Amino acid sequence: MSHRLAHTEPTDLEAFAQSARDFLDASADRLEDETEVEWGAGEDRISYFGDETPEDATRLVDAARAWQKTRYAAGFGWITGPEKFGGRGLSAIHDLIYDSIEAEYDVPDTGVLSLIGLGMIGPTIVAHGSDKAKAEYLPGMYAGDLIACQLFSEPNAGSDLANVSTRAVRDGNGWRVNGQKVWTSVAQHAQVGLALCRTNPDVPKHRGITALLIDMNASGVEVRPLRQMSGGAEFNEVFLTDVWVYDSYRLGEVDGGWSVALTTLMNERASVGSEGAGPAARAISTPFLAALMGENGCLDDSHARRRLAELQADQLATSYLNRQALDHLISGGQPGPEASVSKLLYSQNITRAAHFAAEVVGPRIVADTGAWGAFSWNELLLSTPALRILGGTEDIMKNILGERVLGLPKEPGGDAATPYRELRTSRSGS
Amino acid sequence: MTGTTVPEREDLRRSVRDLLDRFGDDVARQDAIGSESGHSTRLWSALAEVGALSLTVPEAAGGAGYGAVEQRVVLEELGRTLAPTPFLGTVVQAATALVASGDPAAHPHLERIASGATLAALAVTEGDGRWRTAHFSTRAELDGGTWRLTGAKDLVVDGAVADLLVVAAATESGPSLFLVTSSEAVERKELRTLDLTRRIASVAFDGTPAELLGSPGDAPAVLDRVLDATMVALAAEQVGAARACLDASVAYAKDRVQFGRQIGSFQAVKHRCADMFAKVQLASAAAQEAAHSADREPDRAPADVAAAVAHSVCSEAAMFTATENIHVHGGIGFTWEHPAHLYFRRAKSSQMLLGGPAANAERLLARLGV
Ligand SMILES: Cc1cc2nc3c(=O)[nH]c(=O)nc-3n(C[C@H](O)[C@H](O)[C@H](O)COP(=O)(O)OP(=O)(O)OC[C@H]3O[C@@H](n4cnc5c(N)ncnc54)[C@H](O)[C@@H]3O)c2cc1C
Repeated sequence: MSHRLAHTEPTDLEAFAQSARDFLDASADRLEDETEVEWGAGEDRISYFGDETPEDATRLVDAARAWQKTRYAAGFGWITGPEKFGGRGLSAIHDLIYDSIEAEYDVPDTGVLSLIGLGMIGPTIVAHGSDKAKAEYLPGMYAGDLIACQLFSEPNAGSDLANVSTRAVRDGNGWRVNGQKVWTSVAQHAQVGLALCRTNPDVPKHRGITALLIDMNASGVEVRPLRQMSGGAEFNEVFLTDVWVYDSYRLGEVDGGWSVALTTLMNERASVGSEGAGPAARAISTPFLAALMGENGCLDDSHARRRLAELQADQLATSYLNRQALDHLISGGQPGPEASVSKLLYSQNITRAAHFAAEVVGPRIVADTGAWGAFSWNELLLSTPALRILGGTEDIMKNILGERVLGLPKEPGGDAATPYRELRTSRSGS
Repeated sequence: MTGTTVPEREDLRRSVRDLLDRFGDDVARQDAIGSESGHSTRLWSALAEVGALSLTVPEAAGGAGYGAVEQRVVLEELGRTLAPTPFLGTVVQAATALVASGDPAAHPHLERIASGATLAALAVTEGDGRWRTAHFSTRAELDGGTWRLTGAKDLVVDGAVADLLVVAAATESGPSLFLVTSSEAVERKELRTLDLTRRIASVAFDGTPAELLGSPGDAPAVLDRVLDATMVALAAEQVGAARACLDASVAYAKDRVQFGRQIGSFQAVKHRCADMFAKVQLASAAAQEAAHSADREPDRAPADVAAAVAHSVCSEAAMFTATENIHVHGGIGFTWEHPAHLYFRRAKSSQMLLGGPAANAERLLARLGV
């Protein structure tokens, strides 16, 4: 495990920005001007989830780890983290400055580490972990050595996440865990997972859950890949059979796992907001879509132009909204349920852009005739349905907005007061 | 004018459905997707046996002499199950061209199509994949009494398995259609497709011997009829597929429990299903009208308008229901194993095959005189 170099912390932001530039100049190339698209140059792929061969996937993961390691060693791998656990102890604004500068450089995509592990699980460990758990996992995660996954969803606990049935039973100074998780992204690469487990079935479902950090290499952990409709197998089923976990790897209180889960989910929604268009950013940018239109002879078509303008207006306005939300956080505000708006916009913008691109391509979207930048849009198109589902579905986001932001009453018949044991889970099974 | 009664058509539906239950289930579909030909030959001959391939073939050519109204029944069922077959290329596109050519020399081919013995495809589109009826870069030249084709065709539906290719090519007397039956100097390549349940190929000709179909210069008129027949056929198929997505969503919404309730009891899910139903109803009306109009029934909409309306409305219904069906299923709907994505792929592919919404909008307006 590598250690961060000792630093004199720059106190002012200018100096911090300069130090980031110095580091990046020394470690990476600057990106070419994004406003100029050279049509037909480079790999013909417009991917979102990825569909790599196992060898290529390993290579990409290794590159992500290596870059995170470099970044961390230079003091830019965990800018906001507590110094005691290897962080830099700086503010969210420093983080933002670094991100915006790094975006000008051609660096490996670290999504496999950062989206879930560093973006969601890390902050949850900081907020709820024992010192032992923090010391054991945080430096390794932020140094790029450990990849973390989110073991939340189960076959009968998707939108209704509090309905998890994976059992954790007290056994000496630890827990014995049995159950099944599903849709677990990056589990195939992960060394650690944060699992929500049922520890008390006799109280209402939200009050009998405990959060445990699971060693993904422990005996009894079995990861089976699930293939997505877009082709790749980036998510998994995870079977937990008599997995032993020390109590020191518990996050939060016994039976207090729901508030741990909320920390993770809050970070998940906030991170989507700050993500821009994520892996689709280049493909749905103005220059790229305009080049696509030019290539297909509809740059002068008023209908196509209007659709491009509408797409770009929505995308840009979304970026303003996200930027302002971040400013609010930086000036000490709390992330609120309004962040669900960003998540809705994220999936809407990408989905509409993918369909627009397919229509601009025309019939060559149906089969691969070998034309560059044509059939390749399908990978993005076939990823779009997931954007409405993952991280809380579109409908759940709207319920949050309606109930938690607007104060509208819940739909009748909630089960929040019924003990877990008496809940109905599957209709065909009951 | 249709020659069948409603109960007769329901009998036809039952017999096709029965075949699809036996040879077109999820496992059979998966086998067909992975097979070399891309379809089950058993299913194809069973369809031939119940007469499903001969409905629109004229009696003079050994067919039943019915029309789009009867064929719609078969297509709805094929759309419902997405059983991979070469129906669109063979029975819809190639056979319509053969019939529309009015060339008696086409009769033996039609007979063999009707009996399931011949698979056929129509090779029209070129580099940009856009439907056209003229300005082909593929050329035909007379060479000592034999026509020879040179050029490349892209996006040929069922092109790799076809025994008979109907090819549009430029001649000195204008765009014309040719029949290619030999494999001499024909290079076919199966293409990677968005829709996994429909095969599409590219076909290249290099001095390939061919027979003229009809008269030189006939291609535009014949291809106009093929375009309309394709739109009407796709519409029927899209209605079948859209209804399958609706049914799957409704069944899942009744079965799946979250928050202690069937998810169908949440208004968001219930209204989504109701929206799907409304789209299916509208699409079904449009597809039905288009089929009856195509068969020249009195008191129906003009056939050309009804075909373009159906292509627009049914494409939208298929796309919407396929998309929402995935969503209603949550994570499971996004997996490769679940059939939901096959409907999404078919829907997008059928929506785009003939140029997509923008092209069809212009087509419809032109037909409305705007
Ligand atoms: C690509 C991908 C990656 C994922 N990665 C992870 C991961 O790393 N870790 C993890 O734990 N999970 C992950 N998930 C799981 C994801 O969080 C769940 O799929 C999601 O929460 C929905 O749960 P479900 O699939 O069980 O659908 P269900 O909850 O069964 O939903 C089915 C349908 O019912 C609707 N519905 C349900 N309840 C309501 C309601 N109250 N009101 C209105 N509508 C409702 C839903 O919106 C949906 O349309 C991932 C999912 C995807 C697709």
